Amino acid sequence: MDRPEDRLALIEVLDRDGRCLRALDVLAWPFSIGRALDQHLVLDDDFVAPAHVSLHIDGQGALQLQVGNTVNGVELQGQALAAGAMRPLDTGDGRALDLQLGHTRLRLRLRSQPLAAEQRLPPRASTTLWAPLSIGLALLALTGLGHWINLDPGADITDWLPALVAAPFVVLGWCTLWALLTRLFQQHFQFLRHLRVLLPWLLALSLSAALLPQIAAALAWPLLWRLSDPLQVLLMAGLISQHLLVALPRHPRRVYAGLLSALLGFGALSLTFVHRSADRLSRAPYMSTLPQPAWNWGGAVSGSVLVQELAPLASQLAERVKKAKAEEAANGEEPSD
Amino acid sequence: MTRLQRMGVWVAGIGITAAALTALTLPTAATNAATNAATPAAEPREAAATGKLLGAGAQQPLKAAASPPANLPANPLVNPASGPAPRPSLNPSPGLSSGPTVPPSSAPAAADTGAVTGAVTGAVTGADTGAVTGAGQRIYERTRPLLLQVRTLLKTQDSQSSVGSGFVVDSSGLLVTNYHVVSQYALQPSRHRLVYASADGKQGALELLAFDVVHDLALLRPVDPAALAGRGAVAIRPEIEPLARGARIYSLGNPLDVGFAVAEGSYNGQVERNFLDTLFFGGSLSAGMSGGPALDDQGRLVGVNVAARRDGEQVSFLVPAAPVSSLIARGRSAKPITSPAWPEIGRQLMQHEAALTQRFIAQPWREAGHPDYRIPVPQETFMRCWGRGSPQAARGLQFERSDCEMTSRIFVNNSLLTGFVTVRHETYDGSRIGALRFADRYSDSFRNEAIGFDERNRTAAQCVEDTVGVGATGATGARGAPKDRRAAALPLKVVVCLRAYKKLEGLHDLTVLVATLDQTQAGVQGRFDAYGVSLASAQRLTQHYLDGFAWTAPKTVSR
Repeated sequence: MDRPEDRLALIEVLDRDGRCLRALDVLAWPFSIGRALDQHLVLDDDFVAPAHVSLHIDGQGALQLQVGNTVNGVELQGQALAAGAMRPLDTGDGRALDLQLGHTRLRLRLRSQPLAAEQRLPPRASTTLWAPLSIGLALLALTGLGHWINLDPGADITDWLPALVAAPFVVLGWCTLWALLTRLFQQHFQFLRHLRVLLPWLLALSLSAALLPQIAAALAWPLLWRLSDPLQVLLMAGLISQHLLVALPRHPRRVYAGLLSALLGFGALSLTFVHRSADRLSRAPYMSTLPQPAWNWGGAVSGSVLVQELAPLASQLAERVKKAKAEEAANGEEPSD
Repeated sequence: MTRLQRMGVWVAGIGITAAALTALTLPTAATNAATNAATPAAEPREAAATGKLLGAGAQQPLKAAASPPANLPANPLVNPASGPAPRPSLNPSPGLSSGPTVPPSSAPAAADTGAVTGAVTGAVTGADTGAVTGAGQRIYERTRPLLLQVRTLLKTQDSQSSVGSGFVVDSSGLLVTNYHVVSQYALQPSRHRLVYASADGKQGALELLAFDVVHDLALLRPVDPAALAGRGAVAIRPEIEPLARGARIYSLGNPLDVGFAVAEGSYNGQVERNFLDTLFFGGSLSAGMSGGPALDDQGRLVGVNVAARRDGEQVSFLVPAAPVSSLIARGRSAKPITSPAWPEIGRQLMQHEAALTQRFIAQPWREAGHPDYRIPVPQETFMRCWGRGSPQAARGLQFERSDCEMTSRIFVNNSLLTGFVTVRHETYDGSRIGALRFADRYSDSFRNEAIGFDERNRTAAQCVEDTVGVGATGATGARGAPKDRRAAALPLKVVVCLRAYKKLEGLHDLTVLVATLDQTQAGVQGRFDAYGVSLASAQRLTQHYLDGFAWTAPKTVSR
């Protein structure tokens, strides 16, 4: 544009992903938008009226949006306006205004609006490969160690194939699937970015799965041991949220909200099932990881302490029996006494 | 498929189950289970055996903790005396209360000499007179009027849900059968009714006067006493006249609902190593004969048919006459039972568990022969122990296990057997696999224990756990440091779990899990189970079991 100082406003036509298809300078008010060819901005959209909207300065010098003779109305910043409505167009916070006409999304920026400050980019992801490479090697070593522990001494070389070959393939396959999903929403494939997301989370998952039960056993702290599985689920959810953010960078709130509700739903459901069958919130009846002799920091009690603890356990069970009897009576079964 | 075929298959399956150490007193009313048998009768017995083991609802309180090697003898039937090879998984053999058993035609013993004296023979038709001695004929003729079939029917229809046998025990018409024959009625009297059918074709309604759940006996009376009064009674052989081992005795009943029959066999004394007095009858008992009398050659009561082993030939069991007499004395003038009998069953089981706990704790533990640890192994006065080890050539974790179980269990209903104790341990040697792998296997083995979820009869198990120090000698060397590690307490991981019985107030299943925690490449894990015990007994048994663990005494004073 030759004379940028003449530009009063800028109107952009957006596609469904919010990218700009074309931009139009507004050099004078009033400015009209519609399907008719006599409009300033002509939209080829069957759901737009011939003269859908006009923007003009009113008597007080304020910019007004006037909805024309349209059946579908207009959405201004998410708010529906019917035919004939009039709204002042000044938000004052420096952000662009969103307009929806029929199927067309428009973005309107006014010269009179103050400009918001420049935002800082997120720190640039490192483009070198040494970090993922070293994490990948650490993971491979962990997997190898786990597999070594599972095999008896003198195992055949073929017994190693599943761990050392399959594991990397699973990782690559996982990242490929996420990359394909990303391609659905964006132009990029983003394979390496997903790999960078996956590896550290995977390392955290493996380490916590391997170490947490051991630590809980060493401290003789069953609660920590029971939290180990839920923690794995949380870490998994964290990992998926990071993948989703790569695929849908514009919708962090939706990603988090969706995952959170999925977690809550899944958690409530599985707790309900466990509680029905085991009458407690954890499926495992006791902490089954045994501490290493050198790490047995919990100390020891006398056997009679545990024996004493049976009494409250029995009264707890008696309560449960009472409840079962009440349920039975409610179901109309024969009373047992 | 006819009913008989179905039953035959079922028992053919059961019959072979090797490790059936069985249930002397826990016959199931087998009609329901019979429907499990979908296999054709001609199926090879081996296959049927493996297939039906689970179908029979075998209770398996013990679970393999070490990953058991799969290459175990394929046919553990070979010699039951040498022990159940894979693991002494108890398989409660079917009761004799109804249907299922080997039909005479397919009895494997047919070619055996046993068939001559022991095979069940249709005495009513008398077609096979060669198999019945003259004495059998005489006894049947004399006892015929006193012999009854006891049927449990649904209140609303005439289909029988369980059948057994019974016999008249006094001139007023009282009759005795097994508790398990009438258990459905005892637990749900509003849905069932009891009827008898006599050998001479008379039928009538029965009422339940009393029962002895521990010995599996029930006392009944016809609603119309006149119907059975005056027929006489089966006399009880006086205790002062003990029978000699090998004496002929005659078991009567209605096997498989086929018809009244006499099964001749030998009296073999008490079953050894049994908590409850039970007689060993060397003859064939079949389902449906439960509750029938076993008589001496003068027609006097020696015992009451109750159960049979299906992994052997002609190994059957009788309830001795003594508890029959006391039940008659106790129940003769009792009011008929018309409401569910849970409270009375609970009372009887409480008495039983108190006696069992008392006797169990009074016995000192045996040595397990481990170099490092004293491990509690019960005396074999009323338990049997089976041992097994990992193959010598294995590269992995080396282990040995010992399973001790009581063979007598108490039948309450088809899904509840109780009143017994099991003790098990496994010793592990990880020197061939190293500390890291050992830690992994050792924890896995400790995890691999079934504790029990919520079900109809019992609540889910709830546990307490801690690290417990046992067997501290307190002896310390110079400078206050323990002379060797054995001077300090032996650290054990202990988990104690209880499950409450929903309908038997105050009774619990107790499970105690123990793992030694002092070595990086070796250890012992133990499991103690007591079924149907009170809280006080559970506490005493837990303490008793934990007290059984310690270091072995050092072989030399200085090392």
